[in-house]
Amino acid sequence: MQEFLQYIFSGITNGAVYAVIALGFSMLYGSTGLINFAQGEFVMIGALSLISLWKGVNLPLPLAFAGAVAITAIAGAMLERFAIRSVKKPHPIVLVIITVGASILLRGVGMLVWGKDSHGSPSFSDHAPYDILGATLLPQSLWILVLTLGVVLGLHIFHKRFLTGRAMLACAISTKAAGIVGIPTEKMVLLAFSMSAAMGGIGGVLIAPLSMSSFDMGMNLGLKGFCAAMIGGLGSSWGAVVGGLLLGVLEALGVGFLSSGLKDAAAFVLLLLILYFRPSGLLGTASVQRF
Amino acid sequence: MNAQGSGQEAFLPVLRLEEISRSFGGIQALNDVSFEVAPGAIHALIGPNGAGKTTLLNVITGSCPPDTGAAFLGDCRLNGRKPHERVSLGIARTFQNIELFGSMTVLENVLVGRHVKTRCGFFGAMAGLPGCSLEERKARQRAHELLDFVGLSEAADWRSTDLPFGWQRFLEIARALATGPKVLLLDEPASGLNPVETSTLCDLLRKIRENGVTLLLVEHDMNLVMEISDRVFVLNHGMKLADGTPCEIQANEAVISAYLGRERMGGKCSACAI
Amino acid sequence: MRYLILMAGVLAAGFGLSSPYQIQLLTFIGINSLLALGLNMLMGYAGQISLGHAAFFGLGAYVTGVLTAHFHWSPWLALPVAILLTAAAAFLIALPLLELSGFYLGMGTLGFGMIGYVVFRQWSSLTGGDSGLVGIPSLELGPLSFADAKNYLFLVWAVALLCIFLCDRLIHSRIGRALRAIHDSERAASSMGIDTGRLKVHIFVLSAVMAAIAGFLYAHLVSFISPGSFDFLVSIRIVTMVVIGGMASVWGALLGASVMTILPETLTVFTEYEMIVYGLIMITIMIVIPQGLFRGILDIYERARFRTGSIPAGPQA
Repeated sequence: MQEFLQYIFSGITNGAVYAVIALGFSMLYGSTGLINFAQGEFVMIGALSLISLWKGVNLPLPLAFAGAVAITAIAGAMLERFAIRSVKKPHPIVLVIITVGASILLRGVGMLVWGKDSHGSPSFSDHAPYDILGATLLPQSLWILVLTLGVVLGLHIFHKRFLTGRAMLACAISTKAAGIVGIPTEKMVLLAFSMSAAMGGIGGVLIAPLSMSSFDMGMNLGLKGFCAAMIGGLGSSWGAVVGGLLLGVLEALGVGFLSSGLKDAAAFVLLLLILYFRPSGLLGTASVQRF
Repeated sequence: MNAQGSGQEAFLPVLRLEEISRSFGGIQALNDVSFEVAPGAIHALIGPNGAGKTTLLNVITGSCPPDTGAAFLGDCRLNGRKPHERVSLGIARTFQNIELFGSMTVLENVLVGRHVKTRCGFFGAMAGLPGCSLEERKARQRAHELLDFVGLSEAADWRSTDLPFGWQRFLEIARALATGPKVLLLDEPASGLNPVETSTLCDLLRKIRENGVTLLLVEHDMNLVMEISDRVFVLNHGMKLADGTPCEIQANEAVISAYLGRERMGGKCSACAI
Repeated sequence: MRYLILMAGVLAAGFGLSSPYQIQLLTFIGINSLLALGLNMLMGYAGQISLGHAAFFGLGAYVTGVLTAHFHWSPWLALPVAILLTAAAAFLIALPLLELSGFYLGMGTLGFGMIGYVVFRQWSSLTGGDSGLVGIPSLELGPLSFADAKNYLFLVWAVALLCIFLCDRLIHSRIGRALRAIHDSERAASSMGIDTGRLKVHIFVLSAVMAAIAGFLYAHLVSFISPGSFDFLVSIRIVTMVVIGGMASVWGALLGASVMTILPETLTVFTEYEMIVYGLIMITIMIVIPQGLFRGILDIYERARFRTGSIPAGPQA
């Protein structure tokens, strides 16, 4: 029981991070119909920037947090402005190659900036771990859960209450029509990219204290985030959250049965199974674009 | 084959739709539509925008399965067959927004149309079997004939998208004919054509009918419809409103009030080729 | 004609080169050409991407490696097994994924590549895990021993040339036209009676099989394989080869493979900047000349030729 609870705790913690990453995939897909293969790299940049700003430059935590997220948002905006927007024929294969290229480029830059070593980060606060029914709950887990919830609510309010948010939804439904009624569609795509990158950055910031961070952490996390987004149904915010948590818990329970090396493979097998049997997601109803 | 399908029901229909219904969300795009297409005739499908014409075309080609009802080509039930299977059965189509293979030449576009009439597979092609090269030669010959037929033989080596718009339509028709169809579906073949090209199209469609291919066109150009059609179906709000010869349709009160309002129907009755 | 020139070039290089390093480099170009050619058939002609081709490459290498080193099979028996297993894996991957849009295939193959890598590392009783698989014998055919580097060079290039020849034939056949049709407009292709799903699966399998053959040749060349040779970066390297050479270009695959084999060897600082260079190449080429270097130049030439042609009279019925 105690062990089980421990697995659940760590699963939910990791799952919340996957959820934030998935949210980035999902909202970009929802507003532009694109899947950004560089999403995982934004997680890496977020995590390593936080460590540099907080522990390297000794900024206070909230500032370091904001700085790290801002850096990833800028990276996302640059990706859109200088690469995606210049594409003449947006055939999926071209966009896949460009974002994969961006992903490998960012990873290379990450390696130059932060080196090949792994970096650790302390928890956000120094509280002693809580003891619940014999299982330990780290304060960092609470931080992660609260911040994840904040991101989801923030995105929800942005889409429902703010004019810009609604304009972005309009672009998602029809770029052409949105342009006709005077919505600056190019800016909306730019904003969507930087917001989705920022979410990757937040995911990185959250996970930094949990495990060691290095330049090559991005792909695993990106794929898991994508997997979570697929479970919940791409394009759905709440689906992304549920998908993330589900994936986290499944993975944590899986560790009990599988070796840690196979744990990573398990997530990808799950991804393939979902692509096979429920491409619209377990919760999603939106039909998957078949081309 | 007798080319004069003048609306007599004596013919065995080449294409038959039975009580087709299809809805998208809350919108009933097609509601219990039935009709029969007689062989060797030109049929037109008309109706106001949103009447369900394109949906009906998609039901026939298989890209949009109906909720209820059945479609038959001759005796062959089409339901459940994939679009590409229907092509080999003898249903070809053109698109309203021309969809040519842009990276290929005009001739190659038509050669793609011969796909269903040729058999050479992966290994045959790689090994260069004599059967394959013979088949390829025949396909090329047929493609040249078809380009000749639509009047594009001189442009055979052009890149297809370098053709002027009107010629692209003719190429699309040649490409569809290459599949050796029994029924050819044309989605607004005259849209975007100038009057000269439209009259060339008119002659071409008659020539196709003379070759024994049944034509079903969705068209907004009433002059064209009334001039060349042997039979006209009118759809309105997803339901069949009328079905008859062009003259009957022009005289039909329901059609005039529902579809044309007070405007007079284009084309003169005397133009009907009966 | 082009084949004769290339063949003569390889023969001349083979007999002319004396340094084992250069011979090895040329051999690797041949193997990489096979990989690039296979992926090019998929990316260029079917418009589908695979980000996990290293796994197929690895599958070919590991199957023959395990069968020959552990079970002492003849490599010539192991080859068909490697091809069949890879084809089966590719078939299973492709069947559901190719129905979905390009993005999903990208993610799916990326995931498959990761699974392959993890399996190569973790199934250490068979694969030797991280420390690799040693003792893969070199090839022999009757009295001819391919342990000699020059002979191996000729073998690799004979296979590469054969594959280029076969692919070239395929592209200019009915199947090739159908593939290009799918690439141009899937809707129109299916309205021509082309079974797009089936054809895409077939080309994916063909592509994977070519990677497996490359893996076979690689394993018997180096006699030692480890998971690092089949990781994600290798998949990216193959994609970059295709991007440089240009999608939809059989000969471009040769160019891409040559560039991507020689570049890392000549630039010693390359390892530091490897990923940045790949990334920049992929992004820049996709934006500036999406057809690739080779195809880009050909296109300019072809356009010029069309311009000078006379203008025909047009349709007259």
